[in-house]
Amino acid sequence: MFGPMGASLAPYIQSSKTLSRWVTPIATWYANAAGYRKYGFKYDDLLVEENEPVQRALKRLTNAEQYDRAYRLKRASQASVLHHPLPKEQWITPAEDVRYLKPHVESVHREEVERAKWDNLVVERK
Amino acid sequence: MLATRTSTARSVQRLARSFATATDSAGVKVAAVDNNQPTASVTVLVKAGTRFQPKVGVANALKNFAFKSTSKRTTIGTVRESELYGGVLSSSLGREHLALTAEFLPADAPFFVDLLTSYVTSAKFTRHEFEEYVTPLVHAETEAAIQDPATRAINAAHALAFRSGLGQPLFASEHSSVSVEDVKAFASQAFSKGNVAVVGTGIDQATLASLVEKGFASAAASSPLSSPATQYFGGETRIDAHGAQTVFIGFGSAGAPSSELSALAAHLSTNSSVKWSQGLSPLASIPGVQTVYLPYSDASLFGLLVQGPTAAAVKESAKAAVAALKSASQNIQADSLQAAIAKAKFSAASAVETREGLVAAIGPKANIFSTDLKHKLNVFYKKVDAAGLSKAASSLFAAKPTYVVVGDAAALPYADELGL
Repeated sequence: MFGPMGASLAPYIQSSKTLSRWVTPIATWYANAAGYRKYGFKYDDLLVEENEPVQRALKRLTNAEQYDRAYRLKRASQASVLHHPLPKEQWITPAEDVRYLKPHVESVHREEVERAKWDNLVVERK
Repeated sequence: MLATRTSTARSVQRLARSFATATDSAGVKVAAVDNNQPTASVTVLVKAGTRFQPKVGVANALKNFAFKSTSKRTTIGTVRESELYGGVLSSSLGREHLALTAEFLPADAPFFVDLLTSYVTSAKFTRHEFEEYVTPLVHAETEAAIQDPATRAINAAHALAFRSGLGQPLFASEHSSVSVEDVKAFASQAFSKGNVAVVGTGIDQATLASLVEKGFASAAASSPLSSPATQYFGGETRIDAHGAQTVFIGFGSAGAPSSELSALAAHLSTNSSVKWSQGLSPLASIPGVQTVYLPYSDASLFGLLVQGPTAAAVKESAKAAVAALKSASQNIQADSLQAAIAKAKFSAASAVETREGLVAAIGPKANIFSTDLKHKLNVFYKKVDAAGLSKAASSLFAAKPTYVVVGDAAALPYADELGL
């Protein structure tokens, strides 16, 4: 429930067929209503990046992913200056809104957990 | 007390059979030598040296990828766990082979053999590890090689002498375009059963064979990597660089390394057997000269490396060395020939006593020492006589020499100025 990305009920909801059938439409509505897609963002562009694990994860993106991310951030800042969302053909569609950063953040987190495990290991010799 | 006695009895039995025998274990050649030493080592020898690489620097990247995450353990897991067992992991790269070595206490063999085989069968080659760990190492090695004029000269000499194949540099180029996909593709070709030999020291043959069989159960079985037969070309190149003024005068030949050439190299070698003495080499009195003898499976490169503080000094030494080399190879005395053969035999035999030397000697064929080493060496050097030696030397001079200068290219001598 408490992963590197903060607390989330999503895994539990996705594991239940009935629950996810109920919650998915609400989630879709919420993501659209949040409005970030209108400004050309993907959800992972909004992750808080001012911390060590996410900084390391950002370095693991491919060059193309890094350029695209920087472009989206700039385009959104410009739209914010203009106090107006982007033209509709530039909105991020739900299909484009993939979690491109989350796997990297999770792998960084797994490495940290493993390092802590080895650092605090108690060896029992048989 | 009883325990010590039984172990002594066992060690006597073991000493009786102290040469490696090679067997096939699940398609992988396995050889083991047990001289009853307190530590054991296992080397996985992969035919993935630079001569087989599709692109410059790929083999070097693969070497530096050793012991990174596999499907069984992560990078940090590999390091920490082998530290807990007190083992040492290392990888080294040559023009013919990539060697992955683990040294450990004999009781921990199952873990370390599993660690080595899991890298060969299931390395992950992740992009972020390539960028975070491997690329800095590749760059550092390239940088170190560039700073060392001798390494640079010998690398350039290989490129001139053999062009492709053996001519490929051991290190990545300065602006390398190697990607993790290149490494992965090369590894998938190289890490197959037919391409791998396992050499153990201080470990029982049967134990090692069964561990290897278990480890390689899932490995792909494909045909070994091959590279075209080496041809000798030769030529001259001049490289501007800082550091010691360096001249390399090389003589190469294609085909299996001959006993005559290795005897000639031993005769000329300036390493004296006794400290503070000059030795008996005809080159001994010339300052800054070393001999270089590099035998490969289908070619050999023999040469003189001359280094000095100034270009003028190097020119003097190189001139004297070439003259000495010519006269020494033409009229060698019978007793100095015997001394040279004895020296060559001794260095070949004593090289086998170290771990690296043993792996280099056994590995390529994984069956060379199925019989007695002493016998092999006697057979190898039996035919060498003065006439054969001068014939080998004159055929060396007949071919175009490989001539490399590294340093002040404007002042260092050209090949024809040295009488080549």
